[in-house]
Amino acid sequence: MIAFERSEALRYLGYHGTQQPDEAVQQSLDRCADELQNVVAPKSVFQAFPLTHPVEGTMKLADVFIHSKNLSRTLKGCTSVYLMAATLGIDVDRLIARASAVRMSDAVMYQAIAAAMIEAYCDEVNEVLRQEAERVGLYCRPRFSPGYGDFRIEHQRDFSRLLNTPKKIGLTVTESCLLVPIKSVTAVIGLSNSPQPCHRKGCEECDKKDCAFRR
Amino acid sequence: MNLLEKLGREWLFFDGGTGTILQERGLAAGELPETWNLTHPEEIVSLHCGYLEAGSDIINTNTFGANALKYPDNLREIVEAAVMHAKKARALSGRSDAYIALDIGPTGRLLQPMGDLPFERAVELFGEVVRIGAAAGADLVLIETMSDSYEAKAAVLAAKENCDLPVFATMIFDENGKMLTGGTVDSVVAMLEGLRVDALGVNCGLGPEQMKPIVQRLTQVSSLPIIVNPNAGLPRSENGKTVFDIDADAFAQLMAEIADMGVQVLGGCCGTTPDHIRRMIEACKAKPVAPVTPKHRTVVSSFSQAVEIGKKPVIIGERINPTGKSKFKAALRENNIEYILSEGLTQEDSGAHILDVNVGLPEIDEPKMMETVVSRLQSVLALPLQIDTSNTEAMERGMRLYNGKPMINSVSGKMESMRAVFPLVQKYGGVVVGLTLDENGIPNTAEGRVQIARKIYDTAAAYGISRDDIVIDGLAMTISSDSGSALVTLETLRRVRDELGGHTILGVSNISFGLPQREIINANFFTMALQNGLSCAIINPNTEAMMRSYRAFLALTNQDAQCSEYIAAYGNQPAAIPQNTSAGAAMTLGESIERGLSERAAQATREALGHTAPLEIVNTELIPALDRVGKGFERGTIFLPQLLMSAEAAKAAFEVVKDAMRGAPQQSRGKIILATVKGDIHDIGKNIVKVLLENYGYQVIDLGKDVDPSLIVHTAKRENIQLVGLSALMTTTVVSMEQTIRLLRAEKPDTKIVVGGAVLTQEYADSIGADCYARDAMATVHFADQVFGN
Repeated sequence: MIAFERSEALRYLGYHGTQQPDEAVQQSLDRCADELQNVVAPKSVFQAFPLTHPVEGTMKLADVFIHSKNLSRTLKGCTSVYLMAATLGIDVDRLIARASAVRMSDAVMYQAIAAAMIEAYCDEVNEVLRQEAERVGLYCRPRFSPGYGDFRIEHQRDFSRLLNTPKKIGLTVTESCLLVPIKSVTAVIGLSNSPQPCHRKGCEECDKKDCAFRR
Repeated sequence: MNLLEKLGREWLFFDGGTGTILQERGLAAGELPETWNLTHPEEIVSLHCGYLEAGSDIINTNTFGANALKYPDNLREIVEAAVMHAKKARALSGRSDAYIALDIGPTGRLLQPMGDLPFERAVELFGEVVRIGAAAGADLVLIETMSDSYEAKAAVLAAKENCDLPVFATMIFDENGKMLTGGTVDSVVAMLEGLRVDALGVNCGLGPEQMKPIVQRLTQVSSLPIIVNPNAGLPRSENGKTVFDIDADAFAQLMAEIADMGVQVLGGCCGTTPDHIRRMIEACKAKPVAPVTPKHRTVVSSFSQAVEIGKKPVIIGERINPTGKSKFKAALRENNIEYILSEGLTQEDSGAHILDVNVGLPEIDEPKMMETVVSRLQSVLALPLQIDTSNTEAMERGMRLYNGKPMINSVSGKMESMRAVFPLVQKYGGVVVGLTLDENGIPNTAEGRVQIARKIYDTAAAYGISRDDIVIDGLAMTISSDSGSALVTLETLRRVRDELGGHTILGVSNISFGLPQREIINANFFTMALQNGLSCAIINPNTEAMMRSYRAFLALTNQDAQCSEYIAAYGNQPAAIPQNTSAGAAMTLGESIERGLSERAAQATREALGHTAPLEIVNTELIPALDRVGKGFERGTIFLPQLLMSAEAAKAAFEVVKDAMRGAPQQSRGKIILATVKGDIHDIGKNIVKVLLENYGYQVIDLGKDVDPSLIVHTAKRENIQLVGLSALMTTTVVSMEQTIRLLRAEKPDTKIVVGGAVLTQEYADSIGADCYARDAMATVHFADQVFGN
């Protein structure tokens, strides 16, 4: 069971603000959500790594060099990070593929609900990390994923390797840097000695200002 | 004694952890352990020596992640060094009796169609390692920590095709007894036994305690020696380091308990050390080794399900077959795989346990089609498949790409047939249907058919194929031409069961060929056949009469505890007509489309056909309703789910209209190629566009996802396509979109190109040379209208 934000799923389907689906759509959404709850197999892995900033705009994380202004802003002042990876499992992919063959309206609902679910699940994992960090007096920055802003998506590959995600949680990266299973996330979370008021999250940090899904 | 002579007769002990020990010795997170074969040879030799001195009979080379994906430049060097270090350790420790296992772990990539690694590429990658390792002097191949049965199959085939060494295979399961991609002990044992590995088992993931239920199940279903290589308990994080929770003594004690469960090979995995292994060997070596016993189970499997034949009768769905079905034939000719998939999914919903797959049509490339259909079916449904063809090449390609142990339809008592089919069963595994006919035709007595069954069993045995892997077809022949034929068939079923101890199968509905109201005969004959011992019935599970016979038979023969399946199927029938149907009855066709009610839309169309011409319905009701929904979507008052539900309702209505106009030439407004570009596996957007284009009367050639530019260009030229739609999700895959556009421009310059996808914008689309950027599915429809002048 993953408690997800229904409004988030609706947003992915194009509903904004107070717009609500009609009853037929509501019913289908409920049915698809139940079906998804039956097949999700959420798994996650995380580990802390040291972080250095050898030059402005460049970070060294474990054995990986990252050049990204957006990430560098998010990790300013951090000397270590958590890397995390999470997935809902391959059965979600199968469910969507199956629906695509027979009823596309279900496929888009699965897709939207599962997107809300992986976010909710990442929040759960993130919360565990926040608590773990606070026990040793560290504060978490917002989670930031490859593909946000100028943080190159190719780093999915590094994160997968550093966390050994294929073996640990069944999360793999394709040649073109897409994650499989489809509903998966890798992210970096900065750790610093002082809390930071800035809550800039993914959307606000992103340069794609015309994105339909922008919050 | 060589390894295979020892195996199952005396204990064989594997070594323990490699990666966890190297980490303690300084291997950094994310650093590839195999590089140490070159950079820290002395550490690797000493690691092996530790285990040999502890008493391990088999040590694993440090090659778990060695493949050309991770080591494109120096794979040979890495693998040769690994084997050399193991040999050196063996010499140094004076353990010339020990064996060196070429260790093969997963590639870290997911195979197509869920991932992007082609099955044959995986076979190649593993094959390369096997050739190098075998040549360097490994004594066996250990395929381990496999979390995906499909990848395990690729590795086993690679080992078998590239060396003559014994092949051991161990899988990783979670606490629920599941592999990451859904496999179970039952399903994967069926597959591995079919592939004829020499020993199989479980490693990693769990400690010995948590592994016990899995080990127990292995001992119940496997007829091969069993390997158990657990971790040193469960991992936990301690000061940022992963530690395992049981020490050498506790490990040894638990392994001694596992030794008593009936397994033959023991060792360790992550977190275990030479100390764990030494104590384990001390605790186990004096125990008797359980004999390996055949379980005589007849099992077919998919990636996640195993179906046992010979217990409860099994339903094999027969609908994936073009014989006598014009729509199916058309789907094959047009490469309309979705149609075939929906036939499969419907049968699964109706209660089939296995699906027969026959895609033979004279004018198509059957081997290629078999490959495509098997691959697509197994990506969307979990039922085992029965590969049904008389084309040996199609059979082999289907069996090879199949993710599990398939059923094969069929072999006959003809020598030529057995010579063609049995080698395939021997290589890939499978349960094969044996037709009781031979060079002299179909015997008209049960005695004659039983004789042929014996011949099939005997010949199979000569190929090393157990009678457990054969199901005899008693041949149902129509009673309309020989009124005694049903009796002969039923006697054959009985005698195969009673005299030969075998399992049987029938294509049940053949019995009524040429008669009126065939269902009556079929359903009654089905019950009689079940009563005479039929193990598998090839039927149409969507036919209620057949399923009634089946469920009633199970209930009556005490094979349905508390009649629960029967009650589940029929307990709530017939319920009162739901209220919304009566409300819906007042709804017009247009309204039911707008509200996305497929059944109601179909019903309203049928009603309208009573007084209105089909084309008039389309033009005055259907199209206007679609337009209203489309406009609402563009205005932002109707949303994507509703748009699609309306599209599906419209499709249901169109189907009814088409049926009414059967025979009249189908009109298409234009032919369009859709494809998700090379490297991209996110095809949901493309599929949405397809639904809408089809709704608006366009014929879509859907090339799928991860599509090579050359295939798109080739198809565009062959079909003289005026419009191609491409989708890509990520900046990384827009690159191949651009390549595809360039190739299309060069080779078929008159074709228009529309693009869409999450990262695309008008600017981006312009910069890669597309003719149109479609921000949503409706925009593609409008552009198509423009291109085709509609």
